[in-house]
Amino acid sequence: MDSDQIVEIIIAEIRETVPELAEQAIGRDDSMADLGVDSIERSEIILAAMEQLGLKIPMVQLHGPRNIGELADLLLAKSSG
Amino acid sequence: MTIAVIGIGVACGLGHGKEAFRQGLFEAPNVFSHLKREGREPPEGEIPFIGVEMPDPPSILPARLARTATLSSRAAISVLDEAWNEAGLETVDPERIGLVVGGSNLMTRERVLALRDYSERLAYVPPRHGHMFLDTDICGLCTATYPIRGFAYSVGGASASGSVAIIQAMEAIRSGRVDVCIALGALQDLSAHDLQAMRAMGALGSTRFADSPADACRPMDTDHDGFIFGEACAALVLCRADKVTGGKLYGEILGASHVADGSRGPEPSSAGQVRAANLALAEAELTVSDIDTVNGHATSTPTGDDTELETYRTLGLEHARINATKSILGHGLSAAGAIEVAAVLIQIEEGRLHPNRNLETPLDPRFGWVGAKSETHDIRHALKFSFGFGGVDTALVIGAPGTGRRRQ
Repeated sequence: MDSDQIVEIIIAEIRETVPELAEQAIGRDDSMADLGVDSIERSEIILAAMEQLGLKIPMVQLHGPRNIGELADLLLAKSSG
Repeated sequence: MTIAVIGIGVACGLGHGKEAFRQGLFEAPNVFSHLKREGREPPEGEIPFIGVEMPDPPSILPARLARTATLSSRAAISVLDEAWNEAGLETVDPERIGLVVGGSNLMTRERVLALRDYSERLAYVPPRHGHMFLDTDICGLCTATYPIRGFAYSVGGASASGSVAIIQAMEAIRSGRVDVCIALGALQDLSAHDLQAMRAMGALGSTRFADSPADACRPMDTDHDGFIFGEACAALVLCRADKVTGGKLYGEILGASHVADGSRGPEPSSAGQVRAANLALAEAELTVSDIDTVNGHATSTPTGDDTELETYRTLGLEHARINATKSILGHGLSAAGAIEVAAVLIQIEEGRLHPNRNLETPLDPRFGWVGAKSETHDIRHALKFSFGFGGVDTALVIGAPGTGRRRQ
């Protein structure tokens, strides 16, 4: 698993959670806030991605990333750690 | 102050919307079958539960909201949309519109499914579950979708919740808090756990008609053996009768009463029922002789039907025509009071009484039961009962437009 694969998982969860974004191009430089994802949806997306990665850590450890790529990098680091 | 009903939205086993409701009420096709929704499977080795399941509600919410809205919420949006548009509420100041949702613990089936799905992976519970199973999530979705800014809350009255919501909506208008108030009897989405508990209690039928669901729901018939669940949801738009300016006017709620009879569980109280009826009649400034139609609570449970008959006898309702909407729709529990008031108003409009399905041998033939076919009848004043577990007794006096004696 590399960061780009985690980006794909996150984007798939974004499209699942916000069906209105199904057709929109989304990449690692986009931020969920700019895409219009609200805070509860963001948590839902991150939890679903964590479950796919088999990762169990408190959500507070995932604050900080400014875009999807940085979030994927952090999830990758936590998975490896 | 007389309260008028100017908009109706309905959802039940007959379909979504008033056209399916109107046609189904008078033709009374069978909509009962074994329950099939996920989460309503009977215990292993036991007979399936019987009841009525509605078609999937029409898609009104944006996809993003719909995917986190429960069946109860989606049904509520569907009936609110219909009632809202009919009443033309887009011209009313949003701060003068209120919403009362009748029912409690409404979404237990989906809640049980969520508990099951996440029991082994609790760490991944979706955050949305923190509010989507609250009864008041229906209030939130309704006010997020329609400009209702006076207030919105839910009230519980067990199987009388729909009527309790109507009475609370009336009070909100009478107090001057709002000019328009929507009373919504929400869909009680029962789980197998709820159904089995009520079967064990002896309230839920039907053992006798396990293999013929069409015959299972038979209010006031000697072969009744318990209530039969029927998914339902209804919204009524209420406003001051003297503020109605054109548009639709279905009828007026001339009197209402909601009392506690001191029972904790399911046991009914004729004394409480009679007291509720007399209080509602007094408020309407009418007497029993003015009542030409009774729409019963009439659930098809032996104790409930017997007790309600005692109430009819004590009040002296032998002259009135009587029908039971549950014989067609099943028992909507939290929604029953609201959708049955909608049924009364549609019958007033049509000048017809809907049939009593399965009333082959009435428990007491001295009463004016409607038969297996609809009948022409000019309804002026109808008495509508709704009762609930926990000693809740309500009665409403519903008048055809312009029939109230008590003016402002």
